[in-house]
Amino acid sequence: MLNFDEDDNISFEYDEEEEEEEDDEEDDDTNIEADVEDSDDDASSFAFESDDNDHAENYKSNTTSNNNNQLDTPISKHLRDDSSVVGCNGTLYLPWSIEQFIQIKFLDALDKLKTFNLYGCSDDDLLIMLQYKKWQQEEVVNEFFDNHDKFYKKCGLLLGKDTNNQFEIVKNFSCFICCEDYKSTEVYSLTCNHQYCLKCYHHYINNEINNGRLITCIEPDCKFVIPHKDISHMYSLIESKHSVIIVEKTLLQNPLLIANARELINSKITYKWCPATDCSSFTELSISDVSCEAQKQSDLKNSNDISKVPIVGCFENHEFCFNCGYENHLPCPCWIVKKWIKKCEDDSETANWIDANTHTCPKCHTSIEKNGGCNHMTCRKCKYEFCWICFNKWSEHNNNYSCNRFRDDQKEEEIRRNKSRQTLERYLHFYKRYSIHETSMKGDKKTLRKIDEVTKIYMEDRRSKNEINNLSWIDIEFLPEAMRSLQNGRKTLKWTYCFAFYLASSNFSQIFETNQDYLNKSVEDLSEVFEKIMDKKNDDKVGTILKNKIKIINLSELILRRQKTLIKSAEENLLNGLLKFEID
Amino acid sequence: MSLKRINKELSDLGRDPPSSCSAGPVGDDLYHWQASIMGPPDSPYAGGVFFLSIHFPTDYPFKPPKIAFTTKIYHPNINSNGNICLDILKDQWSPALTISKVLLSICSLLTDANPDDPLVPEIAHIYKQDRKKYEATAKEWTKKYAV
Repeated sequence: MLNFDEDDNISFEYDEEEEEEEDDEEDDDTNIEADVEDSDDDASSFAFESDDNDHAENYKSNTTSNNNNQLDTPISKHLRDDSSVVGCNGTLYLPWSIEQFIQIKFLDALDKLKTFNLYGCSDDDLLIMLQYKKWQQEEVVNEFFDNHDKFYKKCGLLLGKDTNNQFEIVKNFSCFICCEDYKSTEVYSLTCNHQYCLKCYHHYINNEINNGRLITCIEPDCKFVIPHKDISHMYSLIESKHSVIIVEKTLLQNPLLIANARELINSKITYKWCPATDCSSFTELSISDVSCEAQKQSDLKNSNDISKVPIVGCFENHEFCFNCGYENHLPCPCWIVKKWIKKCEDDSETANWIDANTHTCPKCHTSIEKNGGCNHMTCRKCKYEFCWICFNKWSEHNNNYSCNRFRDDQKEEEIRRNKSRQTLERYLHFYKRYSIHETSMKGDKKTLRKIDEVTKIYMEDRRSKNEINNLSWIDIEFLPEAMRSLQNGRKTLKWTYCFAFYLASSNFSQIFETNQDYLNKSVEDLSEVFEKIMDKKNDDKVGTILKNKIKIINLSELILRRQKTLIKSAEENLLNGLLKFEID
Repeated sequence: MSLKRINKELSDLGRDPPSSCSAGPVGDDLYHWQASIMGPPDSPYAGGVFFLSIHFPTDYPFKPPKIAFTTKIYHPNINSNGNICLDILKDQWSPALTISKVLLSICSLLTDANPDDPLVPEIAHIYKQDRKKYEATAKEWTKKYAV
């Protein structure tokens, strides 16, 4: 849940303070003021999170212990009665995690279905029926009462009899699938008693699971469906092959439910996965009318109105554009981003470089870059000898200087060449800055992670010595906020270079550049402060943090404001046509 | 693992060969087989012998084998490259199926085509509209390519 992601923002549990509606529901684990000294669990969720395994385990143990009573899992507490979150430019959205999705869409439906007390149905049966009916519990109830014999059969279930699904250890078993003869091995079979070794079953399920459908017995004409619980158990058995302890998966971790959830999420256009690396959460766009949304998305394709760019956040607070699936790329409109990425990826600029810096051999047309003095060239490939200046055959070059006489047709060639060089230089100018900020973002992240660790160690140390009074978590609460604004500021800055590359030069483009300078300055200032804190020679790192508290708060505030100003003014000036893009 | 299983199928085929088809490796490569099936007597393909090539994927039997006709055949579910449209060779594949079972299924596909899920819509159309014409063409192709 808490994740320090490689490519994006740092996320902190209490980042969600921004979303005010949530405060009430999240009291238990996010209210910083109240619970600091109460218990270990609480404290670790405030810790400046980096690779916090403690917390991950905490979280897991919470869900496991509550497994039997799904309604009480912490995840359902996150359910915010469908109230959407408002993104940085007004887009309404709802961030989801896979677990949350499974809980709300699948397991809550199961709980509701349970209240109907369908005769003779176990939880396993209900889950299978629900998945068969795409988690519409009303439809399950209808069809069950309509003709339950038929419905049972359709779902691959056995009516009225107890199922006899078995994991057992069998002696002298030869598996039909892998053709191994085992002295003793574990096999699985459904009520139909078609036995196959566990390894083959696992391999089979692993293949089938990706399409997210219910999985039947391996036997081709056998329609018995493998219950979710057995799939979990099988994975647990295989995964804990070498250890004695078998860790059972909860329903939230059930491989088939996860695969099914992925399938459902992929198939709906109102859901989109967060593009950040290692982030497995996704976001739902809150819209009333899907067809109208499709229209809006196609309008966006060529629109310069960046206020319409749907910037959303994911469950782990990574901002991204719902339309093109890239990170938050404001102030650039989506179509510019697409163009830019394509330009950076393909080799159109390589071609320009070759054009500007090389000549082709007049005979075989191989590109040649001259790296030494003499103008008597010999092509490596075809051994043709020619003059680098006039491209005539060297042997016909009786008078070395005849090629220096000016000929008009060469002038045009020269102009073209210069133009190539200019375009290239222009591109390189912006690309360099763009990529420098990209690299700096990674560098910043490293520094921020270190600061995280240092403060965490310091606080733990203090707490163990009962010196907590000196400094509480509230005192350094400003840090994550500042770190986030540094990262986001840099991200915006990075994209301004893409913006500037396509921007037609005018007096208004100078205003944009001034804004860019301002943002650049404050970002660098804050970055420097953080770097100084982590300087190797600095012994009192936490002390420096506290000493610079006001400075850090001010700078992070400044970044936020300049970022907003830049985007706002770009948005307005694009709309009134004062800023224009120039595409060749 | 796949090799063991392929060997087993090969020896089973040798021990209990099916009446209307045969199959075996082409050379030293056990993953590449050739098979032949006889045109079913109650079909327009009667009297012909059709050759097929079989390629086993490395994760056989968890993935289906790739099977294609190498003899030209006029059939709504088999195209000019010899590709076969058969559910058990795609999403209905099960690791418990064997080459011999698959070949038998192909035989029954020759008897009963499935024009509602065609690979060659033109042939399927003729099959549905003018069965006599379809049978005549199929017979003609069989005589031409498979005898």
